[in-house]
Amino acid sequence: MTALAPGRLTGTPVRRHDGDTFVTGRAGYTADVPRPGAAHAALVRSPHAHARIGAIDTAAARAMPGVLAVVTGDDLVAHCTEIPHGLDAGHLGGHHAAVRPLATGTVRYAGEPVAAVVATTPADAAAAAARVEISWERLPVVLDAGSALLPGSPLLYPEWGDNVIIEREVGPDDFGAASAGAAHLLDGELRTHRGTAAPMETRSYLADWDPGTERLTVHATTQNPHVLRTLLATTLRMPEEQVRVIAPKLGGSFGLKMYGNREDFIVPLLARLLGRPVRWVEERAATMLAGTREQVLRYRVAFDADGRLRALDVHAISDHGAAAPTHGWGMAHVGALSTGLGYVLPSCHVRYTVVATNKAPWVGTKPFGKDGATLLLERVMDRIAGVLGLDPATVRRRNFVPPDAFPWLHTSGLELDSGDYATALDLTLRRLDLPAVRAEQEAARGAGRLLGVGLAFELMPESADIPGAMVAAYDTSTVRMSPTGRVTVLTGVTSPGTGNDTSIAQLVADELGVPMASITVVQGDTDLCPYGFGNISSRSIITGGNAAVLAARDVAATLRATARAMLQLQPEDELVLAGGLIAPATDPERAVPVEAVAGAVHTLSYRLALDVEPRLESTRTYRPGNVRQQPDELGRMQTYTTYPYAVHASVLEVDPETGGVSLLRHVVTHDCGTVVNPLFVDGQVTGGVAMGIGAALGEELVFDADGTPLTTAFKTYLLPRAIDLPPVELEHLCTPAPGTPLGAKGVGESGFSGAQAAVVNAVNDALAPRGVALESTPVSPPRILAALLEQP
Amino acid sequence: MTGDGGRVELRLTVDGQERVAAVDPRSLLLDALREDFGATAPKAGCRTGDCGACTVRVEGAIAKSCLRLAVAEDGSDVRTIASMADGDRLTPLQQAFWDLNAFQCGFCLSGMLLAGEDLLDRIPSPTDAQIREAISGNLCRCTGYDSIVAAIRSCARPAAPS
Repeated sequence: MTALAPGRLTGTPVRRHDGDTFVTGRAGYTADVPRPGAAHAALVRSPHAHARIGAIDTAAARAMPGVLAVVTGDDLVAHCTEIPHGLDAGHLGGHHAAVRPLATGTVRYAGEPVAAVVATTPADAAAAAARVEISWERLPVVLDAGSALLPGSPLLYPEWGDNVIIEREVGPDDFGAASAGAAHLLDGELRTHRGTAAPMETRSYLADWDPGTERLTVHATTQNPHVLRTLLATTLRMPEEQVRVIAPKLGGSFGLKMYGNREDFIVPLLARLLGRPVRWVEERAATMLAGTREQVLRYRVAFDADGRLRALDVHAISDHGAAAPTHGWGMAHVGALSTGLGYVLPSCHVRYTVVATNKAPWVGTKPFGKDGATLLLERVMDRIAGVLGLDPATVRRRNFVPPDAFPWLHTSGLELDSGDYATALDLTLRRLDLPAVRAEQEAARGAGRLLGVGLAFELMPESADIPGAMVAAYDTSTVRMSPTGRVTVLTGVTSPGTGNDTSIAQLVADELGVPMASITVVQGDTDLCPYGFGNISSRSIITGGNAAVLAARDVAATLRATARAMLQLQPEDELVLAGGLIAPATDPERAVPVEAVAGAVHTLSYRLALDVEPRLESTRTYRPGNVRQQPDELGRMQTYTTYPYAVHASVLEVDPETGGVSLLRHVVTHDCGTVVNPLFVDGQVTGGVAMGIGAALGEELVFDADGTPLTTAFKTYLLPRAIDLPPVELEHLCTPAPGTPLGAKGVGESGFSGAQAAVVNAVNDALAPRGVALESTPVSPPRILAALLEQP
Repeated sequence: MTGDGGRVELRLTVDGQERVAAVDPRSLLLDALREDFGATAPKAGCRTGDCGACTVRVEGAIAKSCLRLAVAEDGSDVRTIASMADGDRLTPLQQAFWDLNAFQCGFCLSGMLLAGEDLLDRIPSPTDAQIREAISGNLCRCTGYDSIVAAIRSCARPAAPS
């Protein structure tokens, strides 16, 4: 990896290159894109969690003011295919579910879109949608995975014969042999609850069909504009180049705005059918349908007398909700791959069962299933500490993969590249001042107060590449310099709101020695940018950033060759690009401005440099080398590129009278390899921690006995607010990703898993004197209070 | 006041400009600003008054524009974060939000900037607890709030000598 030289922008806290447009309210999001004359869509959603759709009477709706069209699922059948699956369970030994943009025949969750109304204003569309009359034949509902697996359960897809979307195994099934002779065996069950990503911006689309050119232009809240274009072209049976997808500024996403959502297709279909632009802005209640993280994790663990792990066997049952074409169920797979990762675990076997229930489906959500694996292992570590009377930090330290053992092949097939987990733990404990906190805890306990400390280690496999799916560990960037020395970077990666465009500009600025102000980064437009996979798996800098570095180096090479000719230097003479100048390393006085060289490439090619191809543009793809997709003898693959990690410590106090939790401190040591921009890394880790704390303490999607969602707004789904959180205390460690140009490991999913697990562990530590343990989330006040009241 | 198609005429001063638009009488102030007056700085995050992304100043007082009917504000002076800056000169608070990365996606900025400005107007030198309290009517999903607290804190002025 390249050493970071002084004077470089990489590694420094450069502020957002376009931050002024944000703080003045000028940054344009999808719902802000002006389009006079656009009609507005409203969706009619099922009020029932499971029902057959009978007659749909649209007459009253059609007669409402301003209504242009009312469209049902049956109306759309002739105009589109079913939605292609991001990850088809049917191809991997599970069941395929045909999902169409609007439901036909049967609805399987409350909120499933059944019909669409288009009107001249949003209010007219909403008013008319309420007048669409549907006769329903209600069917029995099943609302939890356990019940859905029982014989005789209502079936969502009767043709399957059961409710299992997919069941697979990861790692060798040898717990019996591997645990033989172990000093201790423990079993347990951990239950996590249903959450949702809840970005501040809901989903939104503006679809524009131009009958003259027969082109469809879609402005979309999407993380993956190119992939969405491919899927739209397939679904609408159009040549791909006739579809343009533009992703304006994204108001947060956290996985929610990956492709495959039904509205991705509904709104463009409406525009094409009506031959006019159609806009749709999702209401918050619909955003709150997207589910994630509701699992039962049953486990057996064997360990030695000193706390070292011998074997772990897990059955992870995931309550997916209805089947969906998004790759949401993949979270169960990634959770299984990640289980035990980072610990020396000679045997680890995970069976995962993804179950269909009458709830809105899982949608891929940060950190994509790895959080369940973290929570499981970190509860196990604390339970081992409890059994052996050891300090929880000691148990972790004894089990960490040591820093000299990389590359480390985990039983799941993932291969860790680098890290120093014990040092991260040490840094966290030092910042925390653990002895002082323990002393404070003792004093508090003496006074009858419930103070708790919780530790957690998180390890996030990032930059995934799933064979056969539109999820790639590589991406492409173009770097282009104009005759006046201005630089445009066009990249296939997108920003969900984190500002990776600024980071990419930093990298390119360093390679070309030009100021940030001469660089423009273009993202999210399928007509302009190279084909790319957008924003997934914390890989924007690893892929798009490294690709931009390679492309910028090509441009720099052309600049150097031309400058050598201009300065009549020899090929071996070194040239330095810095400060907007190109100068001989040994004679800085002879520097020429980069724009003069760029101009020369474009105007004096024949005279100056016949041996140089006169093009200041390069498109490069960065594909990391350490992915291995030829299955080994156990069928395992190495599908992730980098492995950032963190060690968290949470200190909190539980009020025994109310069950309320006051967070006192949260310390994190984080290692994402080379940091391109510490402002952005710190911001993302802190945001991830807040989200993890929210998940641990209270954010929960709740349904009534009929399957009607009860948490449809922020009054009932409680995101953490500023008063709920302590300042996050950050420490950094840097083990660069080996074998990559930059050494960056990705940070987009970091913070969540360890924060959630540390808070759960801290609550349990606080409750320990009362003999109470909570093995299900959220560890919310009512649950804590109930547990305290149940104690003998 | 009735205009075409059941619309009514609404007179607002938006970011310093006196303007008139024909609005649907069902419109929230938020929708009228965004759709009829082209003022898109305030965002629709929840429409239930919980997230604060739609915050504006109405007659100088900060308000969540999703909780007001547009027609009830006829004749009002409405300011969004688009008119906080003096031309290209950002306010110190805007500058601090930019410099300290007090946003990521930026969707919450109307609320965070105006709540922060309002706090500093009332309490020039707030404690961190007061800052957290002041922005607790606003949600941010990206930052974890620490950078927002830091940005507001950096604009604190020493209390005037009494």
